[in-house]
Amino acid sequence: MALTPEDLKALRLQKRISCALSLPVSLMVALLARFYFRYRLDADIEQVRARVWEKLDRHEGPVIWAANHLTLIDSFLVYWAIFPLRRLHQAHRIPWSTPEYTNYYKLGGPLRSALIRLLLYLCRCIPFLRGGEDAASEAWRQKAFDKCAWALREGGAVFVYPEAGRSRSGWLEPRRPKDFLGRLALEVPSSKFLCVYLRSDGQIATTSCPPTGDRIRVIADVIDGARPGETNPRDVSQRLFDRLALMQLEWWKTSDMARNCGGNDVIDLASPLLRENFSEDLTQADEDWLARHLTHRELEYLSEQGPDNLFRVFWRFFCAKEACHKALGRAIIVVANGAFREIEVDLFKRKAIHLPTGLQLDIRFTDDDPDALHCLAVLRGGFIGDDETEADILWKVARVPPGVAPGAFVRELALDFIASSNDEIGSSARLALTEAGGLPAVIWRSIPQDWSVSLSHSGRYAACSFMIA
Amino acid sequence: MAFMRKQAVIEAIDLNTITPEDAEKRIIAGVKKYASNETNYASADANTPYLGHIVGMGIESSNLADITMSIERQFLTKMTAKVPVSANSNEFKFAPGELGKLRILDGQDALAATPGLSVKMLMDLGHMPRHETYLESVMSFAYVMACGDGWKMADALKKMAAKTEKFAGTERTDAVANLRTLAAQAKEYDATLADAAKLAASKAKSYANDKAGYDALNVELSLTLDKIKGLSAGGDAAALAKIRGEEAEIRTRLKMSSAKLRVSQEISDAAGKRRAIEDKKVSSVRAALQEAVSLAEKIS
Repeated sequence: MALTPEDLKALRLQKRISCALSLPVSLMVALLARFYFRYRLDADIEQVRARVWEKLDRHEGPVIWAANHLTLIDSFLVYWAIFPLRRLHQAHRIPWSTPEYTNYYKLGGPLRSALIRLLLYLCRCIPFLRGGEDAASEAWRQKAFDKCAWALREGGAVFVYPEAGRSRSGWLEPRRPKDFLGRLALEVPSSKFLCVYLRSDGQIATTSCPPTGDRIRVIADVIDGARPGETNPRDVSQRLFDRLALMQLEWWKTSDMARNCGGNDVIDLASPLLRENFSEDLTQADEDWLARHLTHRELEYLSEQGPDNLFRVFWRFFCAKEACHKALGRAIIVVANGAFREIEVDLFKRKAIHLPTGLQLDIRFTDDDPDALHCLAVLRGGFIGDDETEADILWKVARVPPGVAPGAFVRELALDFIASSNDEIGSSARLALTEAGGLPAVIWRSIPQDWSVSLSHSGRYAACSFMIA
Repeated sequence: MAFMRKQAVIEAIDLNTITPEDAEKRIIAGVKKYASNETNYASADANTPYLGHIVGMGIESSNLADITMSIERQFLTKMTAKVPVSANSNEFKFAPGELGKLRILDGQDALAATPGLSVKMLMDLGHMPRHETYLESVMSFAYVMACGDGWKMADALKKMAAKTEKFAGTERTDAVANLRTLAAQAKEYDATLADAAKLAASKAKSYANDKAGYDALNVELSLTLDKIKGLSAGGDAAALAKIRGEEAEIRTRLKMSSAKLRVSQEISDAAGKRRAIEDKKVSSVRAALQEAVSLAEKIS
């Protein structure tokens, strides 16, 4: 679908007006960020800008801004961080933004809504519609794509979030690239990508804006758009996601928060205490007891699975919740003991949500055994793995030898397993397990490692996991 | 339907006719079948954690709901009349009514980590009269957690020290280096336990996270309400219904977030207050930590 002359006229007008008013708009963005939200850019921001602009100045062509996405005001923050006021004479380099229509264009009463629309118009926005599979929504998306391509062909810049929405786990996952930016880069091959990883120090989950007063740290780089010979949008997008993922790792290196947040849980299904709220044939359960563990959605799913699967499916839910509880604990999100309904598990989609924060975790069942269940959960730090791609979390399930204390056994199991998984370590004698902060962690070469070690035991089984990303 | 637990016949008793000590005894007796650490269970008192194997009864988290349900089965209360939490609310709370079955609502047991704290929960919820002398002997949840962490650290350090002694050569050198780190962590934690203000500061981080999450969710709700306002004028019924669904979800999350915030606030506040019972328990954990550190220092 080509842009109509009216579309082009409107875009050109918007560009002229936004250029003319770029100084007051940019000043307003900077003042709001600095004095209303009290954000501080990291001390090295001038070096970051210098490096980026040195590369941008060498490239006269179009630029696709691509950043991670956690809050509703990321576009403003990225612009504030990257585009210094002294560059405003090059107003053609101010990026066109692509906000989600449903999030911004119908906010509040008529006056407020009109003011927000005016601001977005001046901020050179092209509204996107990410939801909807109908023809009208598809047409909207195509038109938005064409507008972006037009802006790039004009030698301008476009800001698009490669993840196509805010990351619900707080982690950019390079193994799940989206094709949109690859398509755009192939459409305008002279484009470069300006990759930005921006996050405030206290940004744990996806929120509307970073915590007030937080310091904002930025990593940025300019890389090739479509390279000669590249024809597949996925390949281009994958390269972009890989670069953003590396920048993400760099950001986390100097963070106070633990980067790797994973957990595991094992359940011995033969344990008699697991059966006592079920009928003898395990096809019925005490409804009050079930309701103390499962949310309404989970209960619905459980009843759909039929009585023969009741026992096993219930414990799958439980096992997943326990694994998530441990993964969340790494992110200093404490799920109180017994608050099982704070975590809602979707066994079909293999996802779980921590309802109070909205954080989304990946879950994965391993070692499916008639007698035991073992579940992994990953919030951030790496990929949980699937049939095609190896996981960044390793695990081991073992039987506890008779007469051995399961707590001691699982600790030794974890150290032996970690040592055997890394040639450099070689022997578990070189490792120690600490319980500082209430969570297990491995010490190697006298330094506690951010490996997100997780321990679990139930009846005859013990299990451990750790992250290698 | 015949549930296995119904094999045990329990005669429920009115909470207003027994002492807190009797309630505590019944609570401890009620969880016997779930306790896997027999030694700790045999000497369990008001401050013995249900969970954990070092000083706890060794109950597994899969039986946490069973603890609450065991308490419910054992007692009768007059707080049985269901009243709405607020006007137009679907949620309810209990008010005085006829003597009947005790019911502990979702989240009310969040801090009941020991038999003593379970009794405190019953008092706080109005199921039995407050008994200040009894409560003086009940360690706060914040200190149950803080001491639990201390016991785990001391245990890990002692075990590592014993293990290190068996190594030789480069393995021993590496193990000794790790042991020093463990000992340094234990020392640091000992210093934190020694200073109530320092401990409170460490717990304040978790509260700050929860508060930030709660505030962010409030902003999210206000944005959603703005979207509803904006869409209401447009007449797009499907979009409006979708956003209303989002609003309901955010309100549920907000309710959970608020409950979570109350718990972390209580922990943060209680960590700064230390009574005789907490002093006593902290002293014993600190002694264990210091003993483990001195053992480690001898080896390294």
